[in-house]
Amino acid sequence: MSPLGLVLRLAGLVLLVWLVVQPTAFAGLLALFTRPGQPSVYNQGSLLALTISHLLIVASAIAASALLAVGLAIFVTRPFGVDFLPVSRALANIGQTFPPVAVLALCVPLLGFGTTPTLVALFLYGLLPIFENSLAGLSSVPPPVTEAAKGMGMKPMQRLIGVELPLSMPLMLAGLRLSTTIALSTAAIGSTVAAPTLGEVIIAGLQTGNTAFVVQGGVIVALLAVLIHEGFVALERSQRRRIGL
Amino acid sequence: MIEICDVVKSFGDTRAVDEVSLMIAPHTICALVGTSGSGKTTLLRMINRLVEPTSGNIRVDGRDVMSVPAYELRRQMGYVIQGHGLFPHWTIARNIATVPSLLGWDRRTIDRRVDELLDLFQLDPATYRNRLPGELSGGQRQRVGVARALAAKPNILLMDEPFGALDPVTRGKAQEELRIIQQKFGTTIVLVTHDMDEATHLGDRIAVLDKGRLLQHGEPADIIANPATDFVRELVGTTDRAFRLLSLATLGEHVESGTADGEPLEATMTLRSAYSELLWSGRKAAPVARDGTVLGIVTLDGLGRLAARP
Repeated sequence: MSPLGLVLRLAGLVLLVWLVVQPTAFAGLLALFTRPGQPSVYNQGSLLALTISHLLIVASAIAASALLAVGLAIFVTRPFGVDFLPVSRALANIGQTFPPVAVLALCVPLLGFGTTPTLVALFLYGLLPIFENSLAGLSSVPPPVTEAAKGMGMKPMQRLIGVELPLSMPLMLAGLRLSTTIALSTAAIGSTVAAPTLGEVIIAGLQTGNTAFVVQGGVIVALLAVLIHEGFVALERSQRRRIGL
Repeated sequence: MIEICDVVKSFGDTRAVDEVSLMIAPHTICALVGTSGSGKTTLLRMINRLVEPTSGNIRVDGRDVMSVPAYELRRQMGYVIQGHGLFPHWTIARNIATVPSLLGWDRRTIDRRVDELLDLFQLDPATYRNRLPGELSGGQRQRVGVARALAAKPNILLMDEPFGALDPVTRGKAQEELRIIQQKFGTTIVLVTHDMDEATHLGDRIAVLDKGRLLQHGEPADIIANPATDFVRELVGTTDRAFRLLSLATLGEHVESGTADGEPLEATMTLRSAYSELLWSGRKAAPVARDGTVLGIVTLDGLGRLAARP
């Protein structure tokens, strides 16, 4: 990583923390976006609490997608699961085809308002990238390597844990990165059905015609997405180095 | 001792291996030779059950290979493949330690064994232990592949085109190394190759396969002199079979009495190299020496007689 890149990322992180913990420090700057008489700093709740709940919602939804998607990818790459490959592909694709807004709208009558419909939408939307990348990772293990693992007398589980998973880790992480960044932005929409996310700030701004709120919510979500994306990239890079690529 | 009895392997309608019976004596190298699709690799992979026979049976030291769990059987045999198949995310030491770790050897014994093998293959342990396979040259990776196969001191080593990906110079060295190691440990080696030179050079016996059938099984000299079918004759090559024959023996085994001038030739040299050396230096005869003592001479005429059809 270049020194300039490191400085930029650190600056982004500092800006993010500052914006979230002490939004009043930016009151003067944000006032540029307000009309006379409007508050410039979000005043309908704690930005920190919203950020944490936003992250928690994304993390739990993506953790669930990862569990299912990686599990499925492992299953369909085993000799006994190959027959299920087309079905799993179709399933993950359907999850991706549904627009998150549609999932939200469909879930509300069933699950009510709140966090649950958002979790379901993010979970479904996160499946495909992780599944496809894990599948690509598991199938990209060089045949001589799997052949050697077998010929050395490793049992199937030992091959999976010792050889196949570590070698497909960079691609799996790439899938996780895609799903997470998409979910970070998509989670904001969850606030339309009353999920406590940073979308609340943006929606409050849109409803009252207060651009300063929209800017605050937008910038925080964007910074979160960029920094988490960068974090994953760094992790992928270190994994790649570890497996000698 | 590996006994292969009436083994058949069918994939759908085609028979990859068709009623092959073969005995491989302990402490010998058996080369399985054939063109691609001859079934030689399938036959090899049936010995460690990477492929299971459709019918017939294979016994190793009297025990049917189907009577033990596949993973246990494989841990008792070394296995080397083309393109080495080292685990790219493991250090050289951990790669070599694969089978000993699976067998549950203790840490100290494993470390000692790894260093021993690195020394054997002339890779300095201090330098190479902690490197990743990606940081080694092709020849070094291949050596580590063989070291890994030998780590748990197996009696049997299965090799599938082990030197196929190497350049000719590195390949020659690797073959030499394998011969020395085989003589040192008395390992039984089954070697799959499509290279007749490699087979005659390394094999105590050669088994020629074509379209799944075993055409001929015998000592290299016998196969060169009396090919059983046209296919075997073609594989042996008619234009240079005299030289192949010469490459099977060393000077030390055919010393003539007499005296000759000039630089002596080493007794460990093959007759083929000696013939070439004589032609190159324009001599009709040369002294033969072992460790500096002259044993006798070698002559062009003498070599000519040895190269003639037996």
